[in-house]
Amino acid sequence: MSEMIEIIVDDKTYRAEEGSLLIDLLIREEIKVPYFCYHESLGADGNCRMCMVEIAGQKRPQIACDTLVKSGMEVNSKSTKIEKVHTDILELELINHPVDCPTCDQAGECSLQDLYMDYGLHDAKVTIVDKVKHDKKVDLGSNVMLDQERCVLCARCTRFTDKITHTHELGIIGRGDEAKVSTMPGRKLDNPYAMNVVDLCPVGALTSKDFRFHQRVWFLQSAESICHGCAKGCNIYIDHNKMKYQDDVIYRFRPRRNDAVNGFYICDEGRLSYKELETNRLESMLYDGVVVDEHEAIAQYKSLLTQYQGRVSVVIDANLYSEEIEAIVAYAERIGAKVFAPLECYNDPSFADDMLKSAQRAANYGAIVKMGLETNMPSDAGLIINFNHPTHFNAEAEIHFSTHKQESNALLLPMAAFSENSGSLINEVGLEQWCEKAVEKNSPAPTVLSWLEKVEG
Amino acid sequence: MSFCFNDANVAKIEALKKRYPSAQALSLPCLWMVQYQEGYISLDAIDVIAEVTDTPAMEIYRVATFYTMFHLEPTTQKRVLVCKTLSCKLCGSDAVLEQLKKHDVLVEHVECLGSCGTAPVMQIDDVNYENLTPTKVDAIVEGLR
Repeated sequence: MSEMIEIIVDDKTYRAEEGSLLIDLLIREEIKVPYFCYHESLGADGNCRMCMVEIAGQKRPQIACDTLVKSGMEVNSKSTKIEKVHTDILELELINHPVDCPTCDQAGECSLQDLYMDYGLHDAKVTIVDKVKHDKKVDLGSNVMLDQERCVLCARCTRFTDKITHTHELGIIGRGDEAKVSTMPGRKLDNPYAMNVVDLCPVGALTSKDFRFHQRVWFLQSAESICHGCAKGCNIYIDHNKMKYQDDVIYRFRPRRNDAVNGFYICDEGRLSYKELETNRLESMLYDGVVVDEHEAIAQYKSLLTQYQGRVSVVIDANLYSEEIEAIVAYAERIGAKVFAPLECYNDPSFADDMLKSAQRAANYGAIVKMGLETNMPSDAGLIINFNHPTHFNAEAEIHFSTHKQESNALLLPMAAFSENSGSLINEVGLEQWCEKAVEKNSPAPTVLSWLEKVEG
Repeated sequence: MSFCFNDANVAKIEALKKRYPSAQALSLPCLWMVQYQEGYISLDAIDVIAEVTDTPAMEIYRVATFYTMFHLEPTTQKRVLVCKTLSCKLCGSDAVLEQLKKHDVLVEHVECLGSCGTAPVMQIDDVNYENLTPTKVDAIVEGLR
């Protein structure tokens, strides 16, 4: 590690590592600095020219993203002169912008909009008919849609495919007014992390085909959670909204920065896994394929339990929260049942890669291992009480607590999914992380804990 | 349809490789070789160049689209480059352009061709035609057939 030095920004002293980027310091200390192209995981590119600051002893303003911190440096980020610079550069960025914010999905989380409110507030000098026209609907592949008119050519997306995925699908072609982001003719954006370019894009040029035109972002509420796609434990935001007279619905997952786990990104499969939470859910209690009420269901549950007394096995899904698993284990002990948490069915080496995807496709894999639960399949059980484990078992009788519908004549009891409940997870390397409750359904399915209270009451 | 460098170009590439610190430096020479060999730069050729220069194909494609002198589409017409900068403009390149419209050629407006002393100038197949007048243009273009 290099030496820590002191620099002065806007008459205040800050400490920073010598030779680190000035913009990193400004972002860390929450000193307002406008930028499009800089991104902490992609490094400096210096093409948008927005992050200009004045540095004592330098004739002209300098870009903060390509300036290395030096001892005794005096930086001014707020003068009238520098604000004029920001305004002028922003005006250049906006020359050919179509200003179609009312139909743009980025509106509300768009750097151009935010910076215009901070530095712009000018009327356009170029009329809309004189603006350079480009293609507004280019399907790049992998669920990514490109609007070349909105693009500010910050090259974050192309740097992502160059530096992060090393797949090199995107590039800026042409030059001058004709410059635009594109794939090669006849080729598509095709990699398992492609949709991250949508988050990276500071403007509305790259939008997700899955999300566009579905919801305005300012209506969304975000809950901090963990992706349940595999045991990596990538941090995500669950963006959901309850519209008037409708149910609380998840609209998208977004990556949440955590340098210890996933950095800035998540895989596309994890990102789209929210759909599973909204489709094919088990909504009513079923016995022998017929809807039963709670009273009947619990009576049936208890009679099965008495009938198979001493031959009961409890099976636990490795995606449940640790608190739920502990409660189930304690419950099993009280009713004298054996506990199994078979892990084999979660192992999918074809899913794994050396970035973020893990072969163990169970979010709380670490907790099962840590608790030392039996991970083999249950054998010669009379009654199996299954807490959402995906495998099919052969037993004389079965009770399934399940989030999703399944083909079975057994007693099926609907259960809350992870987004409808809070709890902690331990990932494959033993890191414990907390998931907030995101969704509040109109008629919520009971959580594991409330089911246990019901069946023991 | 796949592209292959001809033997002369393969030899040229081998010779050039020794001259530069990285294979990527061969991007522009390779693009020129393709254009002279095939008349235009096809996607197949870009893939071959990418392999030769050990550079992503997208990077080669970007370079090819950046420079206007590279042609990515084949054409049956003759390409005629007409200078659009000052000297030629003052000496009558507008009349030259008007005259060229009457012929079946592909006219391209380009920056200075480096022959201001003999303006106006046009270039066909790397040959400069100087001190042009509309009559001269007719004669030159007819002579191409």
